[in-house]
Amino acid sequence: MGKYLLRRILQMIPVVLGTTLLIYALVFALPGDPVAAMFGDKPVNQAVAAQIRSEYNLDKPFIVQYVLFLKNALTLNFGNTFAGQPVISVIGRAFPVTIKLALMAFVFEGVFGVIFGIIGGLTKGKWSDNIILVLSLLLISVPTFVTGFILQYLFGVKWHLLPATAGANPGFIDLLMPAVVLGSVSMASIIRLTRTEITSNISEDYVRTARAKGMSNRSVIVRHVLRNSLIPVVTYLGADIGGLMGGAMITERIFNIQGVGNTLYQAILRGEGTLVVSIVTILVLIFVITSLLVDLLYAVLDPRIRYA
Amino acid sequence: MKKSSQLTVVSAVICALALLASGCGSGGSSTDTEGAEQSSGDQASKNAVVSVHGCEPANPLIPSSAAESCGGQVVDAINSKLIRFDDQGKAHNDLASEIKGNDDMSQYKVTLADGRKFSDGTPITAKSFTRAWSWSANVSNGQLNASFFSNIKGFDDLQKQGVPTDAQFSGLKVIDDKTFTVDLISPSSTFPIQVGYTSFAPLPESFYKNPKAYGENPVSSGPYKFESWQHNVMIKLRRNDGYDGEVKVRNGGIDYKVYTDLGSAYSDVQAGNLDVIDRIPTSAVKTFMTDSMVQSYNKPGSTLQMFTIPTTMEHFGQDQEGHLRRLAISMAIDRKMLIDKVLGGLGVQPTDFTAPTIPGYTKDLKGSDNLRYNAKKAKEYWAKADAISKWPADKSFQLLYSSDGGAKDFYDGMANSIKNTLGIKAEASPVPTFSEFRGNIKKRLYNNVAFRSSWSPDYPSPESYLMSNFASSAADGNGSNDGDYKNSKFDALLKQAAKAKDTDEANRLFQQAEEILLQDMPAVPLYYGNNIGASAKKVHGMRLGWDGYPIFPELSKDQ
Repeated sequence: MGKYLLRRILQMIPVVLGTTLLIYALVFALPGDPVAAMFGDKPVNQAVAAQIRSEYNLDKPFIVQYVLFLKNALTLNFGNTFAGQPVISVIGRAFPVTIKLALMAFVFEGVFGVIFGIIGGLTKGKWSDNIILVLSLLLISVPTFVTGFILQYLFGVKWHLLPATAGANPGFIDLLMPAVVLGSVSMASIIRLTRTEITSNISEDYVRTARAKGMSNRSVIVRHVLRNSLIPVVTYLGADIGGLMGGAMITERIFNIQGVGNTLYQAILRGEGTLVVSIVTILVLIFVITSLLVDLLYAVLDPRIRYA
Repeated sequence: MKKSSQLTVVSAVICALALLASGCGSGGSSTDTEGAEQSSGDQASKNAVVSVHGCEPANPLIPSSAAESCGGQVVDAINSKLIRFDDQGKAHNDLASEIKGNDDMSQYKVTLADGRKFSDGTPITAKSFTRAWSWSANVSNGQLNASFFSNIKGFDDLQKQGVPTDAQFSGLKVIDDKTFTVDLISPSSTFPIQVGYTSFAPLPESFYKNPKAYGENPVSSGPYKFESWQHNVMIKLRRNDGYDGEVKVRNGGIDYKVYTDLGSAYSDVQAGNLDVIDRIPTSAVKTFMTDSMVQSYNKPGSTLQMFTIPTTMEHFGQDQEGHLRRLAISMAIDRKMLIDKVLGGLGVQPTDFTAPTIPGYTKDLKGSDNLRYNAKKAKEYWAKADAISKWPADKSFQLLYSSDGGAKDFYDGMANSIKNTLGIKAEASPVPTFSEFRGNIKKRLYNNVAFRSSWSPDYPSPESYLMSNFASSAADGNGSNDGDYKNSKFDALLKQAAKAKDTDEANRLFQQAEEILLQDMPAVPLYYGNNIGASAKKVHGMRLGWDGYPIFPELSKDQ
């Protein structure tokens, strides 16, 4: 187990190096000159532009820029944004909000997804199963910005039940609607996944054996069916955490949440390589760590899986 | 120029939905904001803080750094300049009591008004200006707006590599605490108007100790003083009670709330969580005038939308054939139909090369008919040009625009109009992003196609439009004359206007220069973009000024 962990952690190093290099190269290859863009439509004062370029190392060749970035990153100095703020404080502002939002969405989709999935799976073919099926298909097929916009209009603008936008330092109530919107599509997928797993597992031999031994219906479902059915669900949830963190851009824009997705989007528009790479690096780390956690969770759910 | 490449990808998709959803919300009558303004007063509290749609400044809050509107409007609100502009764009003395030019307008003597102070208590003196302008123009300080000072003597010395950061302009001389002189490189009658731009604001002595810290916590010389800046959240300004100028402030302060998206800001105005928005998201453009949840604002603005036909374009050179073709294209565009159908009426047909909010604007220029749809004349001119040199039947007249600015429908409609009127091939082609589009224009990659251009003036004078876009001195990458148009008669008129004795005389000369443009048509004006915005029900006095920003001091609101 310890050896396995160590190996997985060492594997992260080339993954992080590779992704940062790739992202840096992609940002570098973006069309348009970020310094010229700062001047808007005004004529570019070449002397001033040169001064700014040297300040941000933009006048150096690509590989030198990348190595300089890595060197500074090792000492946790990520440099400044074009607006003159330390990258680290920009990240420090964006991540807490997004983590809050992602966790709320995660809990929402996990809890409701599994509960409705179980109900659907156990009442297969009955009216409750059919209603859940239709609703989940509806949620999967409607894009997030549509649900977001409609909920915002109805609950926020028309009925004044919830804040229309989240704004500064959002609390639980502010983030409730965005979290539901953000988690709704994944929730629907989890409902489908759980339901399918349960309906197929419930007719397996080991379930029949357990029942034949005289086990109560409740322990058959909880100890045998559910435990086996949750493995793909856990995989899905694990992969989804990263998606919730980085992919919340549309939800963040609709509900005015100054989180990671929006910061990243703005940074790409401005061609701010260091900010883009810093954020993506953290997202990569989150992905890598959650997938490690998911792998470890398998062993808990399925005793046959052992890591040496 | 303050042109943002508003991103409308998401909102454009939402548009259809907005129409659906607003079906439930509309039906009320549009509210006249000016009427509301007059009936204010009684309930409106003098100390109410008004919240305004804002965005995170891309630069520190230093006058010479403010190159975009997010920080620009904040910096403008806290800084008084030598002069100020009223809602008509007319200049009045502010920190100056007199700005007097010599005979050929190449030297100015500036006398300051008495008793004006910075919010840190120090007096505003001649040195507050000369030192600030020198610092801003100095290349070692890397200021985006340094070029604004390029007509002051000694500018070139401040552009040399390695010049000390405290080097001073040789063309600025302090006579006493209240007086200084400015020597210009070339005469300029509009200098007293140019100094109304934010970059020319004075700076207190405390600034130079730590410009970086100042950019996060600026001192004020204007009707508002800075209170706090929580990044990505809000900038708070409060009424500056030590302010001694003529602007009357009817509110206790302004909160600029930062929004990720214009659409979410508009939703907040509807819900009553935000007081004022100075633009309208694409999703609501067709509905905001009748939205009963907001007060709408819609008046002609100062942005001129055009497309440039570069002089390098085949068959469109600055010769007889080219002129005929340019006029034919201009007259082949049914602007009225496009403004009504595509823009929902949020624009005005052009009659000149400036805009209705600019002193010097007129409808009576000779040749302004060339900006009207006239199918018969268009065909006639095109045929005459064909007689000189034939336009190949398979050749297409191409119009380029950037697809993130929401111009697609207009450009498609325009291509159609040209195609149907002249019977030639015409097509509008998008370029993915504004920055790529501008980058390619600056590199002169679009030398055989027409491309979109628009202009918002830096100061309310025809000069800001004409000099920047069409003077020879702004061609070849030295300015925004992206079509590299050169006409010595036009240049001479601008030079003459620069030496004019007063604004009226200068404007007459600018109008003569515009009449040349109406014949040569280096760029084809399409429409003046309207200033549109909205405010919550309880807000009074919402108006957008000549520059498209709300006139902040006039805002008030019921408690």
